[in-house]
This record gives sequence, C-alpha cells and structure tokens, in this order.
Amino acid sequence: MSGMIHFFSSHFATLSHEFWPLLVGGLATGFIYAMVAIGYTLVYGVLRLINFAHSEVFMSGGFASFFLMKWLIGSSTPNATETVLYLIAGVLVGGFAGAAVATTLERVAYRPLRRRNAPKLAYLISAIGASYFIFNLAAKEFGRINFAMASPFINHPLFTIFGAQVYMYYVIILIVGSIMLVSLDRLVATSKLGRSIRAVAQDAETASLMGVNIDRTIALTFILGGFLGGAAGYLYGLSFGVVYTMGFTPALKAFTAAVLGGIGNLRGAVIGGLLLGVVESMAVAFVNGAYIDVVAFAVLVLVLLFRPTGILGERLGRTA
Amino acid sequence: MKIRSSKVASLVVASAAMLMTVPMIGTAATSSAAAKPVYVIGYEGPLSGGNAQLGINMKWGVEFAIQQANASGKLPFTLQAKWYDDQGSGTLSPAQAQAAVANNQLVAVVGPAFSGATKAAEPFYSNAGIATVSPSATAAALATGISNNNFMRVVYGDDVQGSADAKFLVSTKHVSKLLVLDDGSFYGSGLAAVVATAAKADHATVTSNSYPQSSNCGGLASSTQYTSLATQIVSSGVNGVFYGGYYCDFGLLLGALHTAGYTGVVMSGDGSESTALISGTQPNSAAAGVYLSAAGGGSGGNFTGALETGFLKISHGVTSANALYAPQAYDATNVIIAAMQKVSLTGSLEAKRIAIRDELHKISYKGITGTIAFQSDGNLAGSGAGQIDFYQVTASSATGNVGGYAITQVGHN
Repeated sequence: MSGMIHFFSSHFATLSHEFWPLLVGGLATGFIYAMVAIGYTLVYGVLRLINFAHSEVFMSGGFASFFLMKWLIGSSTPNATETVLYLIAGVLVGGFAGAAVATTLERVAYRPLRRRNAPKLAYLISAIGASYFIFNLAAKEFGRINFAMASPFINHPLFTIFGAQVYMYYVIILIVGSIMLVSLDRLVATSKLGRSIRAVAQDAETASLMGVNIDRTIALTFILGGFLGGAAGYLYGLSFGVVYTMGFTPALKAFTAAVLGGIGNLRGAVIGGLLLGVVESMAVAFVNGAYIDVVAFAVLVLVLLFRPTGILGERLGRTA
Repeated sequence: MKIRSSKVASLVVASAAMLMTVPMIGTAATSSAAAKPVYVIGYEGPLSGGNAQLGINMKWGVEFAIQQANASGKLPFTLQAKWYDDQGSGTLSPAQAQAAVANNQLVAVVGPAFSGATKAAEPFYSNAGIATVSPSATAAALATGISNNNFMRVVYGDDVQGSADAKFLVSTKHVSKLLVLDDGSFYGSGLAAVVATAAKADHATVTSNSYPQSSNCGGLASSTQYTSLATQIVSSGVNGVFYGGYYCDFGLLLGALHTAGYTGVVMSGDGSESTALISGTQPNSAAAGVYLSAAGGGSGGNFTGALETGFLKISHGVTSANALYAPQAYDATNVIIAAMQKVSLTGSLEAKRIAIRDELHKISYKGITGTIAFQSDGNLAGSGAGQIDFYQVTASSATGNVGGYAITQVGHN
C-alpha cells in the first residue's frame, strides 16, 4: 500500500512539473487525431463502413504537401508573409490530395460494391486491398525512407502558459485544426449538403425518395473527410516527416478516437481525438514509454465498458 | 485412340527429357568444361524499409569486392552476388535466409546486417553449414548461443561499443545524469543495456526506458510518442541522452528534443551513424551537435585513392566516409573469397559451404579496416581498443552535406 502511495505521489510530483507542456503537446496530437477521425466517422455515418484505406488518404496529403513545400521553400527561409501563404498552401494541397484519393477510393473500391449490394465483408477486404495498393505504390514511387519536410516556419516558442513554452508548431495545429473542425461542424449542421449527409445517414432509401442524390452525397462525404485527413497529413508531416507507412498508426488511433467519441458522431470524433491525444501524452509521466499505446486502448475499452456507443453515443443522422 | 496414345508417348518422352535436365541444372555451376565454375556469395540486409541506407551501404561494399575479384582474373571460379532484402527485420529475415540456403550455387553469406535479423536467420544458415560474416551486426549476444560456429563479424560487438560510448559520455562529455533510451529492438536494447551498465559503473546517475519503433520507421508505435518523451526529458533535468536504435526513429526523437528545447548531450550508436539521420530529422538542424559512434575500425578504415574512385562508381558518388560499414562489407566479402581460394571446392554443396566456414575460423586476412581473424565465438580477435570511432553532426559545406550538415569524426576510444 505504501508502495502504491509512493508511486502515485512521485508520479504526481513529476506530472505537476510537466502537466502544461504535456497538455499542450497532447492537444496538438489530439487535433490531428480528430481531423483524421472525422473521415472515419463521416463515412461510417453514410455507409456504415469503416474506411480502412483512410490511412492512405492521410499519407497522400502528407506527400503532396511535402513536394509542394520542397518546391516552394527549397533551402530558403520564408519571411512572415510567405510563412502564412505557404502554410495555407500546404493545408489546401494536402487537403485536396486527400480529397482526391478519398474520392478515387469511393469510386473504385466502394461504389461498384454498393451497386451490387455486396456484403460488408467485401467492403472491408476492398478497403484493405486499396490501402495496400496505395502505400506500396507510394513506397515504389517515393522510396521507403522517412523524408523531412521543408518547414515554412522556425519552430520557436511563441508564449508561455503556466511555465510551459508553447511552440509555433502547436499553435499552428490548434488554429488550423479548430478552424477546420468548426467549419465542418457548421457545414454539416446548416448547409444543404449537410442536410443531405444527415438524411442519407438516417435513412438512405427514404432520402433518395425525397430527392437526395445518394451517389453525389456519398462522394461529397468522402471529399470532406478526405480533405481533413489530407490536411492532417500535412500538419503531421511538418513535425515527423513523411514516409509511405506514416498513415498506419495515426489512422488506427484516429479510428480509436472515433469509436471513443461515438462513431458516426462528428463532435464525438473531436472529443475522442482530443481525449486520446491528451491521455497518450500524460501517460508518459505515469507508465513506461513502451506502453503508451496500451494505455490508449485501455482507455477505449474502459469507456466502452460504461458507454458501449462511445462518449457522446452514435448519433447517426444527427451528426450535428 | 491412336492419337491419344501418341500424345501420351510424347508426354512420357518430354517428361523423361525434363527429368534428365534437372540434374544438369543442379550442377550448372560446374558443367561447362571451358567456363569456370560459378559460385554465389549472398548478402542479407535491409535494401528497403525505414533504415535501408545502412544496408545499401553494405551492398555497395559487397558489389565492389566481387566486381574487383572477378576483374582480377586470378580466381579459379566466377563469383556472383545475390541480394536478400530482409528490411532489417527479424520477422522477414528467416524467409530470406531460407531462400539463400536454397540457392544451389551459394557458398557463403555477407551479413545479415542487423542484429535482430541475424538472430532470427542464424538457425537456418547454421543448419546448412553456411558461414555468415556480418559487417555490422554488433549485438553482443550474437556471439554466444549460436551453434555450428557459422556466425562471424568483422566489427567489434556492442559490449565494446557500449562501454566506449558510456566512457565518452561520462568522462569526456561530463554527463552526470544520463537517460538511456532504446527502440526495443534486439540491437537497440542490447546496446542501451551495455551503455547503462557502464555509465553506472562510471558513477553516473542512469535511468532507462524503452520506446518501440514508430510507424514512420517500420514499427507500430505512434511517432507522437517522441513529443511527450521530449517534454519529459527537458523537465527531468538529465544532462545526457543515449539512444540505442536506428537512425529513423532517432531522427524523430531529435526533432522532438529540438522542439522541446533540450540542450544536453545527445548520442547514439552505429545504428544511427548515417547521413540519412540528418535528412530524416525535422528540421535538419535538429541533428546538429549530436554524437554518434560506430565500430568502424578507425578513420583508416575508409577507402582511399583508386579504391575510393572505384567505390564511387558503384555508390553513385557517396564517399566511403559517408557509407558506414561499406568498407567492412568489402572486407567481409574479401575474407570469404580468400577462404574460398584456400580450400578445395569439391564434393557436395554442403561440403563446400562447411569447408569455407571452417577455413574462415583459421584465416588471418589483412583488410582495409584492419587484420581480420575470428575468435571461436565469431567475434573479431583483439580487444577493440582504438576501433570505436566517435562522430558528431556538424555544420558543413563539404560535398555530400545534407542541408548544410555532415557527420565528422571527432575521435575514437
């Protein structure tokens, strides 16, 4: 018992020094998870399908923006205006590349199956096959090493919160992530497209009878999810570089986040992503580094034990 | 019916012809009276994957040695190289080892390159009597517990390198509080354990931790683990970090340490001694100042003069100084060729393989990295004094620099 008390008191003492830096880092990671998780949750909402090839959407966005940054920046040091413009360009190009790959996936890997009323297992195999094809293609075309991405900014501390220095990279992720997630939330809640997505998620057949173009809505859903996933690939690449396998673990975590928050629920995906990012970050202070991923999945299991449909629950058709 | 009978007869004749051809294919290496017999020296190492550059360096060394040996015209046989890409993985290496064993012209292997892959592949080579001469598998434990004495290496093990690294950190760089990290690999955890033990013996305060290889580098862990780790390192107050692992993950750690503002001494071993460390570190400048070590045999171990010119043609311009373990692979290949020339290559394939293996245990060969003779456990003879090199990533405008940085030798043990 005294051993346990000592364990917790020493770790809480450690955590008190590191809490704010770990929180900031965890939130930044969480925003990336959330942006990727949106892709899973949107697709699940309209198709009841886990798009396991979404990891390659993330990777494609990373590589597209990597090449853009290399071309734009090279070995130069951008000034303040260029920094902002390049960041926007990176997000847009990463996003559009992700959207393009996601659309292609929908057209090639899923739509033919949907037209033939294929069983869900066929979608799963198709997704896995597409994922393998894309990442192996990337490995062949771009090489199998980790490439550092030319950064449009120097990552220096911008300000301090409770003694924790907040670096530019984190601020960029928090700003870009917030803008994109809030925009998507409003888009789905208030726009005609959002109503179509929610209608298809609720009852595709009835939505079709009411005049909703199912194919178009599903394609646009993939585009939205792909855009966020691709942009997240860019933000991730700014810190960790890009490589053909870069999507695997972040996408697995994002899928976990989507389930944690309540699959099919947009806000749930955001909450799940942020929670998972922070829990992983804080876990460093408490457990051996080798078990961080174990902690992440333990939290998922724990939450699902009490709330089997996730923190906010599945709200299919009422994603806003 | 008649037609069917003739078809059957044709099939029988064709099958018989094929059966007769099989043994001829099997002995194709020696069937031509005029031509020299052909033997294959295999190379097993990572030629793809997150840490492929080290393996590619060694492939160049093997290729160079075989090209030179064939061109000399002095060999009573013709050599061919065969590449077995294990991606440095202990999971993939058994399949590659089995493919090498099945090659009926293969008589010896350079490699495997990585320690974990070596551990997993050795039983297959051992059963077939194939000598494996590794240019780079440094895990100390490899020299024990492998039956049949087929494992040898032309570099000193991590027991020598790890002790030298700990001494460098504690005595030369005055690190008093050291964090020793590893990537969970057979190589990384072994090297880290030696460093931790030796640093403690040198009176440093040591803490150890393990962070598995990330998905950016062929593992499964999240790369974001390094962000939190770096935060913890900064607040822990350690003035030195040693990383046992390969350059890909080490680069991610360096990027995170840079972001977290860590200013202490950072060092890693030979698994990270590659310019690919700099190119994979985000930003490149985050690798500046980092110390590295390698069981490279001293700066004299690199190619010079005509050898360097010949090597540059194969390496597409990468100098031997920037291609860690290429000279060792060159020496490993040449020591095998020397053994092949000393034994009578007659009898069955297995007999040839075993004869070469046994000869390698007796041989003393003067290579460009030093004199190569093996102890009974496969370790290189000698104490390793002066054989562990220390390097630092420094700003450089020299040819081959990566983003304005290069790896420069700063001393040896």
